[in-house]
Amino acid sequence: MKILATNFLVLLKEIGRGNRYYFAWVALLALLICAGAAAYMQQLSEGMIVTAIRDQVSWGFYISNFTFLVGVAAAAVLLVVPAYIYNFKPIKEIVLFGELMAIAAITMCIMFVVIDMGRIDRLWHVLPFIGRMNFPSSLLAWDIIVLNGYLFINLTISFYALYKMANSKEYNLNIIKPLIILSIPWAVSIHTVTAFLYNGLSARPFWNASILAPRFLASAFCSGPALMLIVFQIIRKVSKIEIENRAIFKIAELMAYAMGINLFLLAAEFFKEFYSDSVHLAPMEYLYFGLHGKDNLVPWMWSAMAFNITAFFIFLRPQTRENLFTLNIGCVLIIIGIYIEKGMGLVIPGFIPGTLGEIYQYSPTVIEKIITVGVWATGALIYTFLLKLAIPVTTGELRFARKEEPLRAS
Amino acid sequence: MPKYVMVIDQARCVGCMACVVACTLENSVPPEHYRTRVIEMVTGDFLNLRSEMRPELCNHCDDAPCVTVCPTGASHHKPDGTVQIDRSKCVGCKACIAACPYNARYINEEHGYADKCSFCEQRLRVGKQPACVATCIGKSRIFGDLNDPESEVSQKLRDNSYRVLKEAAGTSPNIYYINQFPKRM
Repeated sequence: MKILATNFLVLLKEIGRGNRYYFAWVALLALLICAGAAAYMQQLSEGMIVTAIRDQVSWGFYISNFTFLVGVAAAAVLLVVPAYIYNFKPIKEIVLFGELMAIAAITMCIMFVVIDMGRIDRLWHVLPFIGRMNFPSSLLAWDIIVLNGYLFINLTISFYALYKMANSKEYNLNIIKPLIILSIPWAVSIHTVTAFLYNGLSARPFWNASILAPRFLASAFCSGPALMLIVFQIIRKVSKIEIENRAIFKIAELMAYAMGINLFLLAAEFFKEFYSDSVHLAPMEYLYFGLHGKDNLVPWMWSAMAFNITAFFIFLRPQTRENLFTLNIGCVLIIIGIYIEKGMGLVIPGFIPGTLGEIYQYSPTVIEKIITVGVWATGALIYTFLLKLAIPVTTGELRFARKEEPLRAS
Repeated sequence: MPKYVMVIDQARCVGCMACVVACTLENSVPPEHYRTRVIEMVTGDFLNLRSEMRPELCNHCDDAPCVTVCPTGASHHKPDGTVQIDRSKCVGCKACIAACPYNARYINEEHGYADKCSFCEQRLRVGKQPACVATCIGKSRIFGDLNDPESEVSQKLRDNSYRVLKEAAGTSPNIYYINQFPKRM
């Protein structure tokens, strides 16, 4: 018992140490979280009317962010596959940081979904065992199960490995290897189930296309790694962790293929909709050209497309892919491009035009934006703290106290 | 067990909107929301015009997407064929609104649950007809039990050609529209 308490103190102490950049970063995040929490309090007391969500567009900015982040979380497998299946050593060392990012991303996903719910006090109805979920038939129930399952798997793998390392022991690969293998189809499943959530609604032709789930996966394998590549470069700058350029360039190469597939699927969608020119073209037309003069999303969508195509060529050419400056430009372009495309660009046109032909131009209110920033800050803070503990454990600077030895946290 | 359906004879609708008013009063529907509405459409060119009045409400589908998608089972089928909402179980996820092809649902902002036409469940229980049917001046809306071959709805559907809305959505709706304009030969 005493040993547990001391070890907990060791961890707390580690989080409480750092240079001024670290504290400035944490303080900034704390400030944003407070702002988000205050805005959420207002949403709780006044109801969803403070958002721009209406009956015509019943899902908005929150669900858009959720969709994007599911992709980020799912993309952690892009690292696991080459690392463990093909034993590609340079990537193997950084898989852990990818899994920690998946934990932060899934936490944000769950927060966004919960915030989007109008009656949070009845949330227990969708909890397994406590409430009664409408299990096999409702895709939402499936989503709850796969998301929490994915969170659990990643928590188990990374915390087990870290715990063993912190106790200066080799972790037993036989125990976590089945979990790692399981996490690959599971990661595909979280994004597929999220896609099916939209896909299954025959009332919304824009979503009711079989290309949706493959496109979700393709875009996820661009945006998630893009975010990770930037984080890896920060990690190796501020810590003793060495991340080989070889690993980064390999991931960049895989991203080029993923983006190529994503753009191809988009082109396929374009061809089908515009060549056949049926009544179901309307949402696509709204998205890229505007419908009856309503064109809120048009500039966003075209810039997303420009960003994605530019990034594709940056990542395709070995010269630009293996130059850290152009690589980072490509990463930022991909993150912004996919955020638009798989966020508002996916959720909103599903509702436009409405089933009565109405066009309600959704654009998030200030409160929605503040809450969203707050959730992102929460995720960033979680990831910062996880890294703050994981980095010294992997480098061997942080070790747990043992029974005989005195405390040795330096 | 009865199977409640509604048959709407569009030719008899005068567009008085009394059904909309009766429904709103009976069910305390909040402002800016409707459980039923009457769509007025004029089609064709001048001198060759057609006017259509189309009352619309929840279709109480046999294969209701709102029931399938609901994560808690708040939206459910009753044995009498109607689709009802258990308000105390609704978490406000709004998935049913996205799933409904008929725009029949809305969120009650004050209490935060999804809501829609219930065929006036409270009136059915005491043997009355839904408010919109009771008030209909032209007997355009006819309500009854499809399982009873002698009921008015069964007879109407036997004697007339009819259609349902958005059949392609695959929901098997239970609001039947008697064709106002017979197909020209």
